[in-house]
Amino acid sequence: MADGKAVAAGPPAAVVAKGDAAAGADPALFTFAEFDRDAGERIGWSNYSYWRSTLHMFLRNRVALFLLVLLGTILAFTFLQPLLPNQRSPTLINIDPATGRQFRNLVPSAEYWFGTNSIGQDLWSRIWSGTRTSLLIGIIVGVVEMVLGIAFGAIWGYVRKADRVFTEVYNVLNNIPTTIVLMLLAYIMRPSFQTMVIAMCAAGWHGVARFVRNQIVIIRDREYNLASRCLGTPTHRIIMKNLLPYLVSVIMLQTALSIPGTIGWEVFLTYIGIGLPVSIPSLGNLVNEGRLIMMAPELRYQLIFPTIVVSIITISFYVLGNAFSDASDPRNHV
Amino acid sequence: MDGRKPILSVRDLVVKFDLRGRTLTAIRGASLDLLEGETLAIVGESGSGKSVFTKTFIGMLDQNGRVDSGSIEFEGADLAGYATEAEWLRVRGRKISMVFQDPMTALNPLRSIGRQIQEVVEMHRGMSGRQAELAAIELLDHVGIPDPVRRFRQFPHEFSGGMRQRVVIAIAMACKPRILICDEPTTALDVTIQAQILRLIKALQSDFGFTTIYITHDLGVVANVADRVAVMYAGQIVETGSAEDVFYDPRHPYTWALLSSLPQLGVKGKPLFSISGTPPNLFNEIKGDAFAPRNPRALRIDFELQPPMFQVSPGHQAATWLLDPRAPALEPPAAIQAMRARYPGGER
Amino acid sequence: MAKYMLKRLAQSVVTLFIVVTAVFLLMRLLPVEGYLGERYDKLSPEQREAILQKMGLLDPWYVQIGSFYSKLAHGDLGTSAIYRKDVPVLQVIAPRVPYSVRFGLVAMALSLAAGLAMGVHMARYKGRFWDRTWTVYIVLINAVPSAVYLLFIQLYGTDLLKVPLLFDKYKFQSWVLPAISMSLGGIAGYAMWMRRFMVDELNKDYIKLARAKGMTSSAIMVRHVMRNAYVPMAQYLPAAILATVSGSIYIESLYSIPGMGGLLVDVIQRQDNPMVQALVLIFSSIGILGLFLGDVLMAAFDPRIKFAKSEGAR
Ligand SMILES: Nc1ncnc2c1ncn2[C@@H]1O[C@H](COP(=O)(O)OP(=O)(O)OP(=O)(O)O)[C@@H](O)[C@H]1O
Ligand SMILES: [Mg+2]
Repeated sequence: MADGKAVAAGPPAAVVAKGDAAAGADPALFTFAEFDRDAGERIGWSNYSYWRSTLHMFLRNRVALFLLVLLGTILAFTFLQPLLPNQRSPTLINIDPATGRQFRNLVPSAEYWFGTNSIGQDLWSRIWSGTRTSLLIGIIVGVVEMVLGIAFGAIWGYVRKADRVFTEVYNVLNNIPTTIVLMLLAYIMRPSFQTMVIAMCAAGWHGVARFVRNQIVIIRDREYNLASRCLGTPTHRIIMKNLLPYLVSVIMLQTALSIPGTIGWEVFLTYIGIGLPVSIPSLGNLVNEGRLIMMAPELRYQLIFPTIVVSIITISFYVLGNAFSDASDPRNHV
Repeated sequence: MDGRKPILSVRDLVVKFDLRGRTLTAIRGASLDLLEGETLAIVGESGSGKSVFTKTFIGMLDQNGRVDSGSIEFEGADLAGYATEAEWLRVRGRKISMVFQDPMTALNPLRSIGRQIQEVVEMHRGMSGRQAELAAIELLDHVGIPDPVRRFRQFPHEFSGGMRQRVVIAIAMACKPRILICDEPTTALDVTIQAQILRLIKALQSDFGFTTIYITHDLGVVANVADRVAVMYAGQIVETGSAEDVFYDPRHPYTWALLSSLPQLGVKGKPLFSISGTPPNLFNEIKGDAFAPRNPRALRIDFELQPPMFQVSPGHQAATWLLDPRAPALEPPAAIQAMRARYPGGER
Repeated sequence: MAKYMLKRLAQSVVTLFIVVTAVFLLMRLLPVEGYLGERYDKLSPEQREAILQKMGLLDPWYVQIGSFYSKLAHGDLGTSAIYRKDVPVLQVIAPRVPYSVRFGLVAMALSLAAGLAMGVHMARYKGRFWDRTWTVYIVLINAVPSAVYLLFIQLYGTDLLKVPLLFDKYKFQSWVLPAISMSLGGIAGYAMWMRRFMVDELNKDYIKLARAKGMTSSAIMVRHVMRNAYVPMAQYLPAAILATVSGSIYIESLYSIPGMGGLLVDVIQRQDNPMVQALVLIFSSIGILGLFLGDVLMAAFDPRIKFAKSEGAR
């Protein structure tokens, strides 16, 4: 079997070169080392924590971090603003004490930071009040949709018998454009805060339910959960360790994304004239008031201020929701 | 096997991956000669770098990976230096083909089987239209698909796993490659089908005369098909030799451990041997012999210096300090000695 | 295949029936006085009663629904109550259809062409400059309420193009802004999905094999990735139709385009119940039709569908 040629075919060059490196090595090294059973484990991959990695990934996203701070500041300010000194009521019509006439369409000044509107109301306090209203709608709708969606979605996903019925109902609801559902419901009911909330929840819950259902089905049938169950892992542990981290991230994303959507619909419905009553300042009402006088360039501040605020809020929620969902996806973790 | 020329020679190959700002060294100086016409099996535990190693031969590392140093000599060119797609297209799929593990996902579900084979024939053999179609049908026939004319028009979902793997093999055969790399081609298939696929590859090998690299976890398969075996650990080839050498006279402690964990070698009533510890973290620099921390009988020098390849006999090498003349004599574990006792060498 | 289509068609018809009934019943919740409009104050209670009786609004709901369906079968959607008093609804709507259809089709074509191109471009340069740039566009379009940015496009766009703020059907330039506005959302949606589907495809195993075969990356992109990505895209076609429909409501009204969307806003503001009902029905039908077409398209593209679909919802 042995012959000289075969040796040449191997990698003898490497043998010699490396062998030399050890030539001067201390002969004491050629004795058995004591064996440490745990050493074999320690060399392995570092242990991994889902939430820590998620946080870590999220903090790496500079844009998201910036928007988080910005949004946090705006939200805090929205609720603090009425408590600050020297704030006017958002619905107060300011009258010039000298002439007894309204302070109409005053451009921004030291007195009225964002100016006044066409009947002399302070735009600065109206914008914060409007933001409060719109955010409140957004959050209520987001939470209600989430509760309904999770409840129905869970039944839909887990109870196999219910699957057909739910699927048919969903198909019907999903076939109608959201715009139409919203308009119809808002049209039928009297314009009010409740009307807005009800209409938007009615238009949105089934989408969330569908989403939750799909997630549950996917997760339920994942091999690792089957495997985990076969190994005798208690159900609550599977839910805590395998289902929840994933679902939580998905739910956070959906809630975060539903807020800009809600604000958008509110602006739209107000435009049509079936939104909130004009007596309640809201971002939709403010944008609409600004629109009515947008043809006068010197008055466009009344449109631009509310739209800037709307845009910052919606963009922040949207980007943050997506950033969080990216960060919470284990595939993006190291 | 003696005197055969290497068709592909890898020297000190280092492959690195960039992963989120950190660098992982998946192949850490692996060297290997692939001899013309042989079947070489590469074995080693999951993550040891078998797939990454062979993927470098056809330039198919993932985007974040790169060959850091070393050479891959094939037909007088150094593949390690290839950078552009144009260069790789001269080799990939023409001279060196690859068959992957999971035939269920290896084919495009939305295109017919026929078109997916025809595509290669058109590309590499310069045929077109009807001619290419006939060539594709012939290939289907060659890999043992019954009724190839009808099957040609069908879609992957109409094929069973074993049949799909045959199609994948037909695609790999389309341009009569010189080297066929099979990355765990039967792992996803059930046992009876496995045997059929192995037989098919053997038969094709004698028809077309290509060289095969066979990656597998299944040492039973290795014993069946391989002329030579390369054992891989943590990105290095730690032992190579003929199948007999590696099975009956293994020298590297990792090979011992690997063989000892074979169920066939277990002693009735005793727990089956398993290697303790985990493979090393490839993000870290590894000092000395990568296997040392898991090796109960490691030498001190194993923690200090990386062992070179020692020649055991012509064609049989192992990278362990145990082969250094200064090392204390160490008998392999009982299971390996039992195996050695069964060496059928006398009969040959 | 044919069986699947028939089943899907039957499903759409049932859906349509349910939607029509639901809309009709919901409209019954409105106070009947709304149907009298401005006349309300001038009429004595007896006269009101008589008129409502004649309109059938005082009958029990099941009688009303029966007569509603029998009229519907004859193509009669009732008469306008306020907007154009006593004129049949369909007669009010008919002249507006061509505008909506024209804008709708142009917007669809624009969003398809631009959206798919953008998505392919993004997938091709994933993680690089153009991918990021288009992502900013998609984020802006998705996040900022359309009611807001469309307003600004009208405000500054008309300035830029030197066209009047409102639609003038005789001026070609005044078709441009509304059509583009209607497609902005669709472009963002298509680009986003196309990119996602292509990236999904790129990560699939068969791409590995295609590369190992020795195909060039551009051939893989065109012959495998793009073709496969179109299949799930077909699903989003109806969503784009719905988006265009929704968009058209706001945009037609902004620019005073004499189409159906603008009309819907008008009649809602003037509380013309029969008109609202008819338009809501029409828009819902378009939605249902769109989803049906999307599924048909997908079935046509995907050879696996006849097997997968018969096993129930995915
Ligand atoms: N694209 C990549 N990015 C980062 N690391 C990678 C990448 N591809 C492979 N690796 C790493 O390289 C090492 C070797 O992987 P490889 O797939 O070659 O192992 P293998 O021996 O083929 O395992 P298996 O038997 O499970 O197929 C692993 O640690 C793996 O994590
Ligand atoms: Mg592998």
